[in-house]
Amino acid sequence: MSLGLLQALSISSRAMDTQQAGIAVTGNNLANVNNPNYSRQVLQISTSISVPTNIGMEGTGVQATGVEQIVSQALNSQIQAENSTSSYWQTLQQALQFAQSDLGQQVTSVSSGSSDSSQGIASSLSDFFNELQNFSADPTSLSERQVLIGKASTLASQFNQVSSQLSSLTSQLNDQLQTDVTNANQLLSDIASLNNQIYTEKINTNSAPNDLMDLREEKLEDLSKLVNFTASQEANGSVDISIGGVQMVSGYNVTDTMSVYNAGGGQMLVKATTAGTQLTPTSGSIAGEIDARDGPVATLNTNLNTLANQLITAVNGVHDGGYGLNGTSKAQFFTGFDASDIAVNTALVDDPSLIQASGTKGVTGDNTVALAMAQLANQLNPGLNNQTFSQSYDNTVATLGQSLSSANSEVTDQDTVQQMLTQQRTSISGVSLVEEMGNLSAYQNAYEASAHLLSAVDEMLKELVSVLT
Amino acid sequence: MRVTSSSIFDSLIYQINRVSANQQKLENEATTGLAVQNPSDNPGAMRSILDLEAESSSVGQYQANITQLQQQASTASSAMQSLQTILSQASTLATEADGTKTQSELNDYATQVTQLIQEAAQAVNTQFNGNYLFGGTLNTQAAPYVVNQDSSGNVTSVTYKGNTSVPSVEIAAGVTMSVLPVGENTTGSGPSGLITDSRTGADLFNHLISLQNDLLSGNTTAISGTDLGNLQKDSDNITQQIATNGAVQQRMTAEANIASAQSASLSSLTSSQADADLATVMTQLTQTQTAYQAAVQATVGFQDLQMSILSFLQ
Repeated sequence: MSLGLLQALSISSRAMDTQQAGIAVTGNNLANVNNPNYSRQVLQISTSISVPTNIGMEGTGVQATGVEQIVSQALNSQIQAENSTSSYWQTLQQALQFAQSDLGQQVTSVSSGSSDSSQGIASSLSDFFNELQNFSADPTSLSERQVLIGKASTLASQFNQVSSQLSSLTSQLNDQLQTDVTNANQLLSDIASLNNQIYTEKINTNSAPNDLMDLREEKLEDLSKLVNFTASQEANGSVDISIGGVQMVSGYNVTDTMSVYNAGGGQMLVKATTAGTQLTPTSGSIAGEIDARDGPVATLNTNLNTLANQLITAVNGVHDGGYGLNGTSKAQFFTGFDASDIAVNTALVDDPSLIQASGTKGVTGDNTVALAMAQLANQLNPGLNNQTFSQSYDNTVATLGQSLSSANSEVTDQDTVQQMLTQQRTSISGVSLVEEMGNLSAYQNAYEASAHLLSAVDEMLKELVSVLT
Repeated sequence: MRVTSSSIFDSLIYQINRVSANQQKLENEATTGLAVQNPSDNPGAMRSILDLEAESSSVGQYQANITQLQQQASTASSAMQSLQTILSQASTLATEADGTKTQSELNDYATQVTQLIQEAAQAVNTQFNGNYLFGGTLNTQAAPYVVNQDSSGNVTSVTYKGNTSVPSVEIAAGVTMSVLPVGENTTGSGPSGLITDSRTGADLFNHLISLQNDLLSGNTTAISGTDLGNLQKDSDNITQQIATNGAVQQRMTAEANIASAQSASLSSLTSSQADADLATVMTQLTQTQTAYQAAVQATVGFQDLQMSILSFLQ
């Protein structure tokens, strides 16, 4: 006996259900066409169980077996890793851009072939030594003394300004570090709770909770921008996370968190709160903040401090052996110790005649000390790697420029890598309008065909019933 | 490879961003004329530019120092010329004051010599920029020579208030120079004395004072015997000073030429590092503008394509 008309009726209704489900999935895909975190879904269909009849196995139509998400796990973990790297270099780049603008050393104009960087420590340093030359040519002139005090004060305050801007940059980076760590902890707990939801949903519905998995992927990517981590996919659908070898998320439990601590001398570092071990992330913005702060920014600060310190020592050393206009001696020219507190001795500011230009007491026209101070400009300082003051400063500027320049090219390179990976991912998981429109037509046509079948069978049944009655 | 709607837009946006960033950089170069503005633009070039600027700035200062020394030397030179004139006038008077002159004529001569002493003192008390040139370094604010007179107006002595060292100024890295003599140097070493120098026997004021006194006392023998010879020594000394001064001025001119050549070459070096190559920049700018337009047009084109697919499927 072959299957009857009623069986045909059920084939057509099941087919319509399936096509409808297909249209729903397509609709969902189309709706999410611009959602960057959405992975396209595909309706999985299979023939329903065949029934043995006297004429052989007879099909019972089609059935929807599930909605599958098209994702490449491998690509996702690569994207996470590259996210960390990108975010590291972006953080570094941003911090160094701040440092560069704090330094304020720009080439501003090249007029008639000669450039003139009118701001920055470089020109103040030149101005100061040039004014010492003018002063040495006219050591008794009160106006030259006044001008010298002015130039020296400008230089000192420029050091102070850069120094204070750099220390506020450092504390800014520490604030950012704190914020990032807080956010990372929040993400860890979000991921743990999503693990829980995904697991529960899987058990309850016996199907993959695609949208929750998309959401978790989004959280993982957010976390990867902050810090690099190792994620391992568990059989129950959870993702376990460890950072720097310390397990942070296991199933739906947050087993540890990160916290910022003072490693001594105000150096803020990151450790695992419970395990207590220091975490040294190698990429992500947290690593970027630490590396920018302890790397190029700290180097810049140290270089400027050394320069200021050497300048104070050298100028004071020469000045100490001189005599003022009224025979005064042993006054400091600069006070302070480094870039943060260098200043012109206030006694000299109040009375420039105290500046000690003469090498012999009472010989006011003598300029040997003033000249020796001016000649410090060309002196190679052992404390500055045998460079002159301006060479040392120029080197400092170039060092910072080099760090920023490599950060810039790393950021550009990473952009390209990210772009390529995103392209690959969208080519796998992205929604294609054309494809979905095609699917829509196919489902629509199939639905129509099944509906025709239904109506044909219906006619036949009516016919049958009318004959029988 | 599957191409999706968002991937096309993503890559278009990415391309447009890249082109825009490049365009911005080129526009910046074109408007400022600088290839290097920030240290990160080209750290190596930035370092050279800063070094060159520092060097150029100190060469500029050396040029200013040289100019000042030149002015100082030429002021000194005119003071020396006046002293030479004074000496020749005094010699003329000494020659004329022979035994044939009456005492009253000799007294007139003496008055003239007194006058010359005053003039010489004035000449040697020359100032430059408010500083006395020939007093050494002791106190450049006070006149180095002070004339003492008795009640009848005759000069009794001219005293030197200066010392025997001269200030030197840097004219090139590590090269210092001084262009001035001191007024008096009887130590036998160090800078030469313009008025009094034990090495040449010059002692201009004392020699003029003895001439004045000999004229007053009518001692014509001493005038022709000693004073004339002494004045000759002074004159020789001044002549030598004028020659030295001339040589110094020549050297200053040479140094100034060197410094200005140096400054010019530093400028061209700096500009070769810092200046944008405008021809290349403008060409590249045109290229990026074309690329930008193409990218934008592609965006519009793709949109049309999608629209047409949608309308086709309807």
